[in-house]
Amino acid sequence: MAKPLVRLRVVQIGLAAALAALMVRAGQVQLVEGRRYAAAAAAQRTERVVLEARRGALYDRHGIAIALTQETYHVGIAPNELRDARRDAAFLARQLRVAPGDLDRALRRRYAWFAGPFTAQDVQPLRGLRGVHLEPVLRRFYPSAELARAVIGRVGDDGRGGSGGGGGLERLLDSLLAGTPGAAVVLKDREGREYESPARLIAEPVAGHDVVLTLDAELQEIAQRALDDALDHMQAEGGDVVMLDPATGEVLAVASRREGGSMRPSAFTETFEPGSLAKIFAAAALITHDRVRPTERVSGEGGRYRLPDRVVTDEHPLPTLTLADAIRVSSNIALVKFAARLRPDEQYGMLRAFGFGAPTGVEFPAESPGRLRPPREWTRPSSASLAIGYELAVTPIQLAAAYGAIANNGVLLQPTLIREVRAPDGAVLYRHRAEPVRRVVTSQVAAKLRDLLRGVVEAGGTAERAALANFQLAAKTGTARRVVGGRYAPGQYTASFAALFPADDPQLVVVMKIDNPQKGSYFAAQTAAPVTRSMLEQALAARTVAIDRARLSNVAPATERAPLEEPDGFVPYVVPWPYVRDSGQVQAARTVPDVTGRPLREAARTLHRRGFHVVVKGWGVIHHTWPAAGESAPTGSTVTIFAEPRP
Amino acid sequence: MAVKGRHWVAFWLIALLAALWAVIARQTAALNAARALTDLREERSALEGRRADLDRRVRTAQSRAVLLPRAQRQGLRLPADTEIILLPVTPPR
Repeated sequence: MAKPLVRLRVVQIGLAAALAALMVRAGQVQLVEGRRYAAAAAAQRTERVVLEARRGALYDRHGIAIALTQETYHVGIAPNELRDARRDAAFLARQLRVAPGDLDRALRRRYAWFAGPFTAQDVQPLRGLRGVHLEPVLRRFYPSAELARAVIGRVGDDGRGGSGGGGGLERLLDSLLAGTPGAAVVLKDREGREYESPARLIAEPVAGHDVVLTLDAELQEIAQRALDDALDHMQAEGGDVVMLDPATGEVLAVASRREGGSMRPSAFTETFEPGSLAKIFAAAALITHDRVRPTERVSGEGGRYRLPDRVVTDEHPLPTLTLADAIRVSSNIALVKFAARLRPDEQYGMLRAFGFGAPTGVEFPAESPGRLRPPREWTRPSSASLAIGYELAVTPIQLAAAYGAIANNGVLLQPTLIREVRAPDGAVLYRHRAEPVRRVVTSQVAAKLRDLLRGVVEAGGTAERAALANFQLAAKTGTARRVVGGRYAPGQYTASFAALFPADDPQLVVVMKIDNPQKGSYFAAQTAAPVTRSMLEQALAARTVAIDRARLSNVAPATERAPLEEPDGFVPYVVPWPYVRDSGQVQAARTVPDVTGRPLREAARTLHRRGFHVVVKGWGVIHHTWPAAGESAPTGSTVTIFAEPRP
Repeated sequence: MAVKGRHWVAFWLIALLAALWAVIARQTAALNAARALTDLREERSALEGRRADLDRRVRTAQSRAVLLPRAQRQGLRLPADTEIILLPVTPPR
């Protein structure tokens, strides 16, 4: 047996070896494998969560919200955590609007889940309830669900307007609206439940940009309602309305509806043959190339004119016609005869210059370019057909842009739906400026064309029924045979109408199209024209539509003004003033003054002095403005003031 | 007076307790702040939801679909353009 000293040495060496092994292992765990263990530990007690970014809002031109993103909730219930299961279940069923039987069945499971989504108001009373777990989720919300639905589109289930979305501007503007999601790390217990703890923010979510559209909510509603009523009354298959500001190219309203209530954006995507609406473009070519004199007349041929390969007829034949007569009564025969003086390249060039056969460039996905064949593809009757609006397929937005060029002294503008893009902090990142595409005709020719269109609405013109008593219109009717399945369908017509309001210094271009009206007349003069007149009357009577009444008030009345006191007791509608134009013209930017809490009159005066136009919402003292106080806005732009009654 | 060993022990013990207290106080304050933040966020969210709902109801109530039938029942109608008088004004200076 070894000596005690030796035994002690052995124990010492053993302990030292064990200690050394421990230290080596500790070194290995801490230094070599430390990162891996730290990561595993972090994964056990923390979780990285994605913080959703708030999607930008869509507003109309006056700041009225069209699409917003709101926080909503999914509701989870842990039945074993409820304090009083029976009482809480009854309360939950009432609050979540779930049948009590369904809720009871759900509560028999270990964890009940109600996807909802429920609004913050719905879940507010549940916040203090033990066993109820709320999961916030951002959801898109449309305050006026049907307002411009076809144009706005919808987001998909993933909350994005991309491939899963429903198209429209939500899809087109997705990269602007979506924002950038953030990330955070939260602590969780061994069951995987999140602790109530301050989240460790890795990246703050960045909200998407807000987009101000050119649409005017009130005009949009007028257009939609007029179209709905017209289609119902006329038992038509569908229709479109486009309203455009010819000075800026801004689309103020666009409504589309098909039979059965579907609202696909056909004003941008579906083409039709415009018929007589295209006669003004043949007239533009004739005047530009000096192929007709104002007094020159052609024979009306008794209303029936035989060409080598077709017969052209007139509905209301005249013995002889000038070009002005031809437009006024929409004579096919006279236009065909006059257009024969144009070379194919001249006729084609003018239609092309007005923008036909190419997309307008409006910010809408899948816009149709229409169809305009080049002269090398023409057949013998092509020239005559094009002069009266056949062999040409156009969209309503193309027609509105083309008539807008006539209104805008011959300059074609690119139509737009986007007026402003604003960063989440309110800074304006983009503001629309009128974008000229080309000069189509000289201003003198444009004035002559407006004169021709003015005649259409006067006595004896085809659009007599569209005439307003106090304001002159320049307009054109069009009734064209419909193509169905590649052939002209017997007895089916497209009634369309294009109007410049007012005829002098036009502020509004209206294009209305009605597909296959089946009840009553199918002529545009009896269908689309009176509906357009009704829309204009409503727009004039509305408070906030983007019409510059100051300019209107200086336009000469079409007929003698009605006396203030009508014998049948009508009370005249006096529009408040001063009227101010909702101008998109960009000038030097100024800061919007803070008028919060001030009386309406004083606030309006302050804003006027700063060079802003004012639109008033509400009555009383100013609650807030849009754009908000402190933001910059161009002089001449509109500031909407929201007033509330005095407390 | 010479500082003895037990004084050092007491000193370090107090220092340790103070440090622990500071950590716990910071954590508690952070938790309270987080709770307050969550409450405020929820309140804001609820108010936003309420505002959006009220906006929607106001918009619906103001819409032509609601107003026109009611106005027609009252014998009111839209004015014709002859009944709209526009006053020529000079723009404000």
